[in-house]
Amino acid sequence: MKITRRGFIQISGATAAGLAVSGLGFDLSPVRSHAQMLKTKYAKETTTICPYCAVGCGAIVHTSKKGDGRVINIEGDPGHVINRGTLCSKGAALSGLSENENRLLQPMYRAPYAKEWTPMSWNQALAKIAERVKKTRDATFTKKNGKGQVVNRTTDIASVGSAALDNEECWIYQALMRALGLVYIEHQARI
Amino acid sequence: MPGKSFFIDTTLCMACRGCQVACKQWHDLPAEKTVNRGTYQNPADLSFVTYKLVRFEEVVVEGKLKWLFFPDQCRHCLEPPCQMTADDPKAIFTDAATGAVLYTANTKNMDAKAVVDSCPYDIPRPSKDGTVAKCDMCIDRVENGLLPACVKTCPTGAMNFGNRKEILAMAKKRLAVVKKTNRKAKLLDPDDIRVIFLVAEDPKLYHKFAVASSTAFDISRAVALKRLFRPLTRLTDRL
Repeated sequence: MKITRRGFIQISGATAAGLAVSGLGFDLSPVRSHAQMLKTKYAKETTTICPYCAVGCGAIVHTSKKGDGRVINIEGDPGHVINRGTLCSKGAALSGLSENENRLLQPMYRAPYAKEWTPMSWNQALAKIAERVKKTRDATFTKKNGKGQVVNRTTDIASVGSAALDNEECWIYQALMRALGLVYIEHQARI
Repeated sequence: MPGKSFFIDTTLCMACRGCQVACKQWHDLPAEKTVNRGTYQNPADLSFVTYKLVRFEEVVVEGKLKWLFFPDQCRHCLEPPCQMTADDPKAIFTDAATGAVLYTANTKNMDAKAVVDSCPYDIPRPSKDGTVAKCDMCIDRVENGLLPACVKTCPTGAMNFGNRKEILAMAKKRLAVVKKTNRKAKLLDPDDIRVIFLVAEDPKLYHKFAVASSTAFDISRAVALKRLFRPLTRLTDRL
């Protein structure tokens, strides 16, 4: 059979249409409203550990390879020995940590007696925290308790660590707090 | 019977709601504003943007408090009443390979209330513009060899998915085990639907629509007529 260029285009067009339809596994006539391509097909895959509780489930993060590299999907890592691909509701909601219109992108400051929160730069915020810690510590540091025993502590500052801190971060954090003389050092990892 | 099926073992469900959240996450569905109603069941009901919902019930059975969990979702009926009601394969159709009952944006052109009312399990939910939505069996994932998001995430093995024959065998095997310690254990409508629940108490205690409500399966006159003339209307469609 001699195929002209026009004929070839017609045939290949028909084949492409046939392929497109056969992929649906369905009658030719109706039109599907949504594409059947995985939203993660062209995404970059990175493994991570769920930051919430102490179980430490593994997850796969799908990020866009083009443009802004935002998170497309996060689901359990089937190859991870702890969770074998599963995640609880908190883990399943991981993508909401980064892709969230309510997410804070910079420190927020509420002045004493003010009702409104205002954005503040990291430099400003860290300087303010350091200034207040120093002031309170200097004013309340006790070297000896009522019995004359050496204690070197301040009981006017407390620390509540984040559950999203890992083991090593927790160690550094508590080392800093103890160096300052804090005794109320707390961590929220027992959920 | 070819195609896919779910097996949901409520005796293993601990109501972590991982399935509910994984479903939202995969489908990029927005959160809903909710209030504390004194229960962990949240949001209160399925909606246009909530396809999967773990229902919580506190009941007293034979003097003992039972906390029952029911991960509710579309059952993907073998003969879907919603599809018969719609009678428009461009709006509601059954995927031949998997058996998934799928809704398209064309549901907007139908009587949403009729579709919702036709469901024996009270699943589909309309949006304001009349489009109707529900669980799509994660057809995009399944077609690409992945498990539905809810099944993939389930940490206890309560949610299972696979070829219908194997799932039915799994359900029957598990039922035999659970029956030894709980005489009331049973599978819900295993021969009519693709999402087979195993419950350990009277199914009505879990959820009003846990089993097909008999009234809903009475096909309305309009649907019966449509069914009767369906081959003819299909033919005229093609002409």
